[in-house]
Amino acid sequence: MQPSDPAASAASAGPPGVPAFVQRPPEGAYRRLNPTTKLVIAVVEALTAFVLRGWTGLVIVLALVVVTAAVARIGRAMLPFMLATIPLIASILLVNTFLYPGATDAIVRIGPLTPSWSGLEFATQAALRVVAFALSVAVFGLTTRPDDLVSDLERRGLGRRVGFVISATLRTVPRILQRAGEITEAQRARGMDTEGGIWRRVRGVLPLAGPLIFGALTDVEEQAMALEARAFSAPARRTVLRTFPDSPAQRTLRWALLATLLLVVGLSVSGRLEFLP
Amino acid sequence: MSWLSRQFPTRVIALIPVAIAINIVLGYTVQTVLKLPIYLDSIGTILVGVLAGPIAGAVTGFASNIIWQYAPGIGGGTIGPFAITAAVIGLLAGLWGYLGVYRPRPAAGARLWLAALVGIAIIVLLASRIYGNPAYADPDFFVPWYSTAILIVGIVMSIAVAAAVLLRRDTSGAWVAVAGAVTGIVAALVSAPISAYVFGGVTGGGTDVLVAALRQGGADVFNASLGQGFFSDPIDKTITSFVVFVVLASLSRRVVARFPLGERVVTPEPAAA
Repeated sequence: MQPSDPAASAASAGPPGVPAFVQRPPEGAYRRLNPTTKLVIAVVEALTAFVLRGWTGLVIVLALVVVTAAVARIGRAMLPFMLATIPLIASILLVNTFLYPGATDAIVRIGPLTPSWSGLEFATQAALRVVAFALSVAVFGLTTRPDDLVSDLERRGLGRRVGFVISATLRTVPRILQRAGEITEAQRARGMDTEGGIWRRVRGVLPLAGPLIFGALTDVEEQAMALEARAFSAPARRTVLRTFPDSPAQRTLRWALLATLLLVVGLSVSGRLEFLP
Repeated sequence: MSWLSRQFPTRVIALIPVAIAINIVLGYTVQTVLKLPIYLDSIGTILVGVLAGPIAGAVTGFASNIIWQYAPGIGGGTIGPFAITAAVIGLLAGLWGYLGVYRPRPAAGARLWLAALVGIAIIVLLASRIYGNPAYADPDFFVPWYSTAILIVGIVMSIAVAAAVLLRRDTSGAWVAVAGAVTGIVAALVSAPISAYVFGGVTGGGTDVLVAALRQGGADVFNASLGQGFFSDPIDKTITSFVVFVVLASLSRRVVARFPLGERVVTPEPAAA
């Protein structure tokens, strides 16, 4: 279950002998976009799917996500993200269809169970909203390397602290995940029960959490010193090594998208658009 | 701005990514490897809040959920929108840290029993707001065994508090439990609207069974989510608070004291004999 980074592996698949930091420029209309533009697109899509109620927002966002995924040619890589939403969608559909509060328009009556049309409609919308949200984030995540995004945001004035927190977290998670796996196996070898009754599994939390937390916290001290030794808290503004092409058209697109989002949120909150169910 | 950047010295900046990773990895492992019906995904948030203050705690909580949603492979399907809840948890943890809730307070004899009783009394008070309340006994909104379930949760938590206070010989156990329970109730209040309006009340986890039961009992989308939250969150946050308390007590004093709120967490140096 290591988090994979298809964007990174695709980018590093350059000709042999070329160092990893010399990247081929990304291909395709969507991939060539500036990382910040892609971030704005993903955020606006995800929020629109939630804010715009009824079918309109969902259909627009899903169509956009599918088109961008097709343009970026990541249909195959999107499959795991689709599969990951299945348990959630099944749960949403079942609970809401069969147990929608106050529904009277029963589809069919099977013993004590009465699935309702209004429940089914509500469930389908909620499920599609989750899919639209997950996929808009997935399209962004699959086409954009976190490092690229952080460098680009830093060039635009993002504080180095925020940049460090984002990129350091993305590097730390796989490392700690691996460590958690090692600790679980080590404790199993010492007789920790991860399969037994609930009380045995509750007792398994401390032998897992303890070494994990202490191991991680010992690194903090050294990291803080290493950062200080490299003038991390120096007040001067840093220059950036890598820049990403931007264009006036993209800038216009970003502001237009954000303005649309504000408009949609404003209209929804003021009740001029369909808002809460 | 200098006020804001003073909240984030380099040591805290180095701690936050580790805390976020602990949140994500432990939450993921507890929910899928140990298959427990709790979340345990806010240990890092509470740790940062207690050590570095409300702002740093809120940032850690918020960033945890956003990055978890973004990290592929360990599937944060619905975690992103709950970033607001996580931020509130971090804010509260900062408040508890500022008030010195997590500082060990060794005691003996009558004071220990008093602390255990005070802790239990506060939990009973919180539970009785739900247990004796006709709003929750209304069969139109809640399942018949809802009150019984709350009673059992209250008893289990009371026993845990008493055991923590008496076995560790430390009156802080009571305050940590109360802080955890209050955090859990606030978290439930913040989560319920998110869960209800964003996901239709269902989040794909083990807690959905509880939501379904409450709906069967006649609760509407919002009340079913709220009922589930009042059940799961106080337990989860109390356990999390105790984990953080044990971690802080086991860390060396030198490490803890260097964080901004560190001096409110360590025991005062015993006077030289």
